[in-house]
Amino acid sequence: MLQLIADGLVVGSVISLGAVGLTLTYSILRFANFGQGEFLTWGAYLAVSALSLTLAVTGGGVMTPIEPFSFGWQLPVAMVASAALTAALALVLDWALFARLRRTGSAITLVIASFGAALALRNLLQFLYGTLPEYYTREIQIAVRLVPRGALGDVMGGLRITPDQMLVLGVTAAAVIGLHVLLTRTTLGRAMRATAQNPALARVAGVDVEGVVRATWVIGAGMAAVAGVMAGLVGQIRPGLGFELLLPLFAAAILGGIGSVWGAVAGGLIVGLAESFSVPLFGAEYRLATAFLVLIAILLLRPRGLFGEKA
Amino acid sequence: MSAALEFCAIEGGYEPGLPILRGASLTVAAGEIVALLGPNGAGKSTLVKAAAGLVPIWSGSVMLNGRDITRVPAHRMVREGLGFVPQTENVFANLSVLENLQLAAALVPKERRGSLDAMFALFPDLDRQRSLPAGRLSGGQRQMVAVARALVASPSVLMLDEPSAGLSPLLVGVVFERLKAVRDTGVTILLVEQNVKAALAIADRAAVLVEGRERLVGPASELADDGRLAGLYLGGGVH
Repeated sequence: MLQLIADGLVVGSVISLGAVGLTLTYSILRFANFGQGEFLTWGAYLAVSALSLTLAVTGGGVMTPIEPFSFGWQLPVAMVASAALTAALALVLDWALFARLRRTGSAITLVIASFGAALALRNLLQFLYGTLPEYYTREIQIAVRLVPRGALGDVMGGLRITPDQMLVLGVTAAAVIGLHVLLTRTTLGRAMRATAQNPALARVAGVDVEGVVRATWVIGAGMAAVAGVMAGLVGQIRPGLGFELLLPLFAAAILGGIGSVWGAVAGGLIVGLAESFSVPLFGAEYRLATAFLVLIAILLLRPRGLFGEKA
Repeated sequence: MSAALEFCAIEGGYEPGLPILRGASLTVAAGEIVALLGPNGAGKSTLVKAAAGLVPIWSGSVMLNGRDITRVPAHRMVREGLGFVPQTENVFANLSVLENLQLAAALVPKERRGSLDAMFALFPDLDRQRSLPAGRLSGGQRQMVAVARALVASPSVLMLDEPSAGLSPLLVGVVFERLKAVRDTGVTILLVEQNVKAALAIADRAAVLVEGRERLVGPASELADDGRLAGLYLGGGVH
């Protein structure tokens, strides 16, 4: 039972990070970006390239792990580079596609365009990296007991988690707290919240709305890249990584209340837990279906989501 | 007195080929309150929105303290010294009162940044509500937040679009008294209003806009007794 919770929280953390970016772009750019999943994939693969480059430059191509983790200092460096490159990719995409459509098209045009962009990004990635799985590290991690056997009984004693998985939880918590501080304590954050609520009034108040839009892409894509690296750290890096997470990302964002950062975090964790619990109950093939059953149930009881505001 | 804000033969509107402003001209002198009056659909709100950069101007020019601001983007107007308080949805409802003011203050250079304490002194009602989301305030308090948000950027000219809309007569009196206090600090005010009586009571001068052009301009005290004013509201001309 506790093991299922731990596994669900790890999966949910990755979903939460991606869903936060999705909910930010939705509330400020006012469209559902179906390309968000591809930012995760690109983030994961760009980190592979950045890691290879860092290892080549720092000598030997060998990564010595920092105990107790499975990777060396080069991976965090690669993750930062990947987040920056993914943010740049999002800015280019906005400049080439979405900014033009914002001026002339409706929200549905932007949604359909994001579908197209997602397809293009996925195929370009497969062309560049191929379809075989990649790994940041080949080190095998041994799951450690969170609580020594006997300390809190045999049930708690059986709870195991790898150091990398603990890191995923920690990175998610740090990223979300960082975003919360940005949104509530800085001028950029207040400008983002103001723009999400009323772009015309934000302009009148002196907010450079186009600048806020760019910042939103940078933050949303950057967090997606971190989510992609975290997903790759505890699993395989495949071209379908982001696409397979896309529906859970939307489920999490809608479940939490679209536009709410904390809602996206809670939604991600709930979807992750639902997926985890579905495996022993219904079988692994029904993971996604179970998550959506939870989504439907909560939306029937609370249509605006857990943290959403009344329309 | 020198002109603080000048509209010179403004033509414009929301949709190409459907003009709402048809050559509107108006001069607001520094330090005065000018009421912009007129029947529904005359183009009053459109004129101030055009000056704020929210409605396209097809021809003509807007001058602020002698500088041409016709093509300045909306978000740069605050830095130029032009404040605008829209009629509806004029506060960020999800931000607290304090955050509304902090955001506005942070968006102008330090030397232009007004003191938040001075704003709370001008609008004491807001002082007790600092941490409350602006969306939970009463209509009158929201107007005060909206005016304070504009004032904290130290504008030389403040435009307000129907600040009395939706307020009780008592609150209209309170808000307008505050506007006089604002003018006394040296801020020029252009006030779009449907409440003619209340507007003329605090204005130095007034202009009546009909079908996108000014039709009558004069001292507020004279226009209050001018029979032509009612004629313009009822669809007649100036005789």
